[in-house]
Amino acid sequence: MDDLRIVERNVTTQTKITARGVDVYYGDVHAIKPVDVDILDKTVTAFIGPSGCGKSTFLRCLNRMNDTIDICRVTGTILLDGEDIYDPAVDSVQLRAKVGMVFQKPNPFPKSIYDNVAYGPKIHGLTRNKAELDEVVETSLRKAAIWNEVKDRLQSPGTGLSGGQQQRLCIARAIATSPEVLLMDEPCSALDPIATAQVEELIDELRSQFSVVIVTHSMQQAARVSQRTAFFHLGTLVEYGETGEIFTAPKDPRTESYITGRIG
Amino acid sequence: MNTSPRKSSLLEQDARTKRRNAAEARFKAYGLAAIAIGVLALIILITSILGNGLSAFRQTEIMLTVELPEAKLDKSGTRDIEVMKKVTTLTYGPILAKGLKDVIAENGIEIEGLTAKDAGALISKEASAQLRDRVLADPSLVGQTVQITVLASGRIDGYYKGRVSLASAELDSNVTPAQLLLADALKEKGLLVTKLNPAFLTAPDASDQRPEAAGLGVAILGSAYMMIVVLVLALPIGVAASIYLEEFAPKNRWTDLIEVNISNLAAVPSIVFGILGLAIFINFGGLRASAPIVGGLVLTLMTLPTIIISTRAALKSVPPSIRDAALGVGASKMQSVFHHVLPLAAPGILTGTIIGLAQALGETAPLLLIGMVAFVREYPAAYTSADGLFGEPSTALPVQVYNWTQRADPAFFERASGAIIVLLVFLLIMNAVAIVLRRRFERRW
Repeated sequence: MDDLRIVERNVTTQTKITARGVDVYYGDVHAIKPVDVDILDKTVTAFIGPSGCGKSTFLRCLNRMNDTIDICRVTGTILLDGEDIYDPAVDSVQLRAKVGMVFQKPNPFPKSIYDNVAYGPKIHGLTRNKAELDEVVETSLRKAAIWNEVKDRLQSPGTGLSGGQQQRLCIARAIATSPEVLLMDEPCSALDPIATAQVEELIDELRSQFSVVIVTHSMQQAARVSQRTAFFHLGTLVEYGETGEIFTAPKDPRTESYITGRIG
Repeated sequence: MNTSPRKSSLLEQDARTKRRNAAEARFKAYGLAAIAIGVLALIILITSILGNGLSAFRQTEIMLTVELPEAKLDKSGTRDIEVMKKVTTLTYGPILAKGLKDVIAENGIEIEGLTAKDAGALISKEASAQLRDRVLADPSLVGQTVQITVLASGRIDGYYKGRVSLASAELDSNVTPAQLLLADALKEKGLLVTKLNPAFLTAPDASDQRPEAAGLGVAILGSAYMMIVVLVLALPIGVAASIYLEEFAPKNRWTDLIEVNISNLAAVPSIVFGILGLAIFINFGGLRASAPIVGGLVLTLMTLPTIIISTRAALKSVPPSIRDAALGVGASKMQSVFHHVLPLAAPGILTGTIIGLAQALGETAPLLLIGMVAFVREYPAAYTSADGLFGEPSTALPVQVYNWTQRADPAFFERASGAIIVLLVFLLIMNAVAIVLRRRFERRW
């Protein structure tokens, strides 16, 4: 693990999301066994673990995307700024405006680049007029580091971009609604190394404004971009702590086996 | 087990490869044969229909010069329409016969064994009604000598379309060879011509004795009314039902049951819907028999399953990542469906709807049961205060085809084939519209 570039660790200690005793069931399958985790504000938190360990499932609990799966059942409490997001009074639509999401496969809408980014602000009524909307679109695309590539063709289809550009467009779309938390489900798995590097750089910049939670298969990526890392294995949260510690001095033997490549 | 590499030349095929290649070649041959049979059947069908039916779009007519004597047509001399309406077609018949006789005499045509009555039979029985309509439309014609074009009788028309010959006329009680010779003589003088017949598309049906006057006007109107009813009802109901079932409904035993039953409904024989329509809309609901609104409702019931099934298939084919993307930025379920899923599914929905409509347009059996097979000569109004919207009796295109094939005169067979051509043209137009719309939707990205 000598090649790991451990990033600066000026971590805030303010908790953004608190999960206590979260269980997830898919029908009869107990997919996630009680998970307790505190996700900090303005921090990149990485979820790592072998395939099928439940890290994506847990991520999808954080903005209630699991609601769309009929057989999925979530118990326990997840607090966002101290408010229970599974409270019956919470509208999942409002929640998702606060907790944005970027998916594994780039999934731009089959509309123009402009419309892709403008869609969120439009449906949430975040802007009052066209000029404001234009501004939001531009800042979002700038933040997602794709403005220079697309500024001359905002009206061309988003699906016509390359894979890496599409993923950055999806990130721009997600941050256009000014979320407080950004969830990323393996955002680089469909990208080549150059595009991956661009997205990783972007994630590091986004940290200044958002709390970012990223699920990744690549331990190097987790080490490069995150300040805190959680290791999931077979549906349980095995270890959670500062990224440097997890990678250099894991407490649990399973974590050690995984990061040294013996399991996974 | 022998795991050492097999030693064989790549240049010659082993028995197994030969067998596999032979099987593939056989399969391709079967496929080609199947397509060839299909294409052949289509070609035979189309040639047969066109061969029989194209002549329906042409009609033989006779040009006459007739005097319209005031003494017979308007005894009062007031040109009052109400009074003139009392003069029936029986009075107009002899006027035409005299006109024809004059024409024959003027041109010096002499045919052996042709009586004046026989000569008069060249003119269609419909002609006196044509003349009467013309006079009633313009009473100032009375007392004048006018040039008119009237329909020739069905047999004379058939003579110029190859249906009737001098030999067959010997045996036919409706036409004599002398009449055919007279027709030939008139044709030579340019007084009898076979020309394009727009009345086939606009005229109403005619009785058994006058196939030459029968047209599709009422049937086309009736079919159009029914298609409007089906489109207006089946499209929104079908699409709404599919969206609900596909996107919103919980997946449980009840929705499974509904789903199975929709598939079952699509397989129910159409005549069953006819009985249902008769029992519910006419006997129970009190709607008028033969009305396009009833036909439209029955066809709507029949088309709904088709539209629902194809719409659901179209919705299913939209990638789930689009729904995730919309939900991920905080769109509500409904916004994600209407802003993203529905536009992507639109081409499929459209195709399904037009296939459903085409099916409904060609449907005959249920319409027979609700009385649309009746003989209707009045153009149905779209709305009357007595019968409501689309409530006046009418027939429909496929029923008209059925109706004409039932009649004895061979001229009606030609009409039926012609009607099939019209039906096929409408179907082709609908399919073309579907393709154009689909292209336009898909071209967006």
